[in-house]
Amino acid sequence: MASVELQGLTKFYNKRRGVENLSIDIHDKEFMAVFGPAGAGKTTTLNLVAGIVTPNSGTVKLGGRDIGGLEPADRNVAMVFESYALYPQFNVYDNMAFPLRSPKFKMSEDKIKERVTHHAKVMRIDHLLQRPIQALSNGQRQRTALGRALVRNPDVFLLDEPLSHLDAKLRHSMRAELKEMRTQLGTTTIYVTHDYLEAMSLGDRVAVLNEGHLMQLASPDDVYFRPASVDVAKFFGDPEVNIFDATLKTSGGSQISVQMLGENIPLALPPDVVQILNEKHTSKIQVGVRPPDIRIAQEGDKGAFHATIYSFEPLGTKSILTLKAVDGSFLRALVDGHLTFEIDRRTQFRIDPHLLIIFDAQSQKFLARSTEPIENL
Amino acid sequence: MDSDKGILGLLGPVLRNLILFLYALFALFPLIWMVILSFKPDEQMFTTTFIFTPTLDNFRAVLGEASFVRSLWNNLVISGLAVALSLIVGVPAAYALGRYQFKGREDIAFTFLSFRFAPEILVIIPLYLIYQKLGLIDSVFGLIWVYQLISLPLLIWILRGFFEDISPDIEGAAQLDGYSWWQVFFKVLLPMVKPGIVAAALLCFIFCWNAFTFALQLGGASTQTSTVSMTRFLASDTVHYGWVAAAALLAALPEVILALLIQKHLVRGLSFGAVKG
Repeated sequence: MASVELQGLTKFYNKRRGVENLSIDIHDKEFMAVFGPAGAGKTTTLNLVAGIVTPNSGTVKLGGRDIGGLEPADRNVAMVFESYALYPQFNVYDNMAFPLRSPKFKMSEDKIKERVTHHAKVMRIDHLLQRPIQALSNGQRQRTALGRALVRNPDVFLLDEPLSHLDAKLRHSMRAELKEMRTQLGTTTIYVTHDYLEAMSLGDRVAVLNEGHLMQLASPDDVYFRPASVDVAKFFGDPEVNIFDATLKTSGGSQISVQMLGENIPLALPPDVVQILNEKHTSKIQVGVRPPDIRIAQEGDKGAFHATIYSFEPLGTKSILTLKAVDGSFLRALVDGHLTFEIDRRTQFRIDPHLLIIFDAQSQKFLARSTEPIENL
Repeated sequence: MDSDKGILGLLGPVLRNLILFLYALFALFPLIWMVILSFKPDEQMFTTTFIFTPTLDNFRAVLGEASFVRSLWNNLVISGLAVALSLIVGVPAAYALGRYQFKGREDIAFTFLSFRFAPEILVIIPLYLIYQKLGLIDSVFGLIWVYQLISLPLLIWILRGFFEDISPDIEGAAQLDGYSWWQVFFKVLLPMVKPGIVAAALLCFIFCWNAFTFALQLGGASTQTSTVSMTRFLASDTVHYGWVAAAALLAALPEVILALLIQKHLVRGLSFGAVKG
């Protein structure tokens, strides 16, 4: 059991930035998902905690103790590598037993056997123990790598994209398994992923990295519903969030409404959002709308936006609809799979002002989103 | 039409095998002839027929010479130790060149390779003078040292590819599993490059074993190797071709035995690593 504190970590590989001034506090027993696109510095972060890479500056604390000067072996952390990093000359059993035979964590062969078989059962690879690594499928290798990390009782687990090389089906089932495991183990875990679904479903909190910087550190809900910036909003959700410019109109006293998409349809903002906007004195904003939040309206609906249907992709239970608004901007909507649409037809849609994510147009930073309960649409 | 195709289809493989057979005959004939010579009595030495009365006289004569047997032993010791020294120096060098990014890495690697560029005969005079000053002529250590020119570049360049192929993640994983760097190197990395080490070491041994120029010029009576010793059967007045053939056959034996013993590793070693994925 241990908390992990990263304070002002910076690591450059020659001129290339790994991470820069990264500070993350990870509580004891927390499951921290580190999310970011390729090259965001996720793996560098893990390697810095593991001690495989030494930082240019900054400190890593484990349970309040600075571990900057310690060798990887002395840090008592276990890591699962993206490439699995299994030892090809050993079979599954010997791979899993390897840490327990080390001078650091040495124990008797009887005890090793007990532990390895126990954890092999947990990972459901107990029938493969005598197999060479080359004879394993990717999923089995991944379980072996996890098993090798589990056999000792490390203070921290570091998981580097453990599911990324698995096929989609296996990935879903392993994700569920990891979630199950996580509650059983109760060990501090840092989980690196580039899949937003993994990050949101597994993480107690999500740290969003981009280009070596921390963009946001918050609960999965907050990251999704109240993203710190336009970029973060775009990372989460598929299809991607719709972002467009909008203007604020003050109408009669404390009322503020937004105008957007080239139409004169003022959407009255909820009072809590109005209050924030008044405090910040912002006039130029950008608005984010998640594709599921766009509702197709009846023909002739007064308060609805007009659009033509640009493309239509049925995906079974849901369909992705691309709409072209009056001002020429495109919006993606996720609609019920039972509906069919004809391309180039005119249609109308509604957006609930409660669901708008409002960003500052200049800084692209998050401003507000209503926390009021949403009424029936 | 169909039968035409059938005949042509059959002709292809037959022709291919015929050409291969002819080439094999062409390539192996000198060796076969050497084996035949070694069993021929002197008076039938120059007949070109395959009919002769086989005799072991040549082998008796060659093995009867104490100095030749001694030279085989010398060659074994010198070549073996030369390869051992190459392994001790070359494996860490190959690791460093394969793993670490440092300034001048390619230049250093190329310098190692360039040791093999110069013909031995070109460097032998300066080397001889240096060895004379150092008193290394006719010493086992002197030959082992100069053989590094032959074996070290080969070893480093073969093993470098093997180390490059090992993911750095594996080193990280082993360190996190509780091992120090040295333990990681011996317990994890060395077993992984074992096929490469075996193949490279064997090649080095063969090159050292067959080395002639250095052994002739820098060796002497006490360190005469089999390659040099054999030349004594080529006297100016009488040439005992049977003896030479028998001696060459005996001298080739250790290499053949070694190669057969480690054949499994050899094939893997030469096909892995060398070809990068």
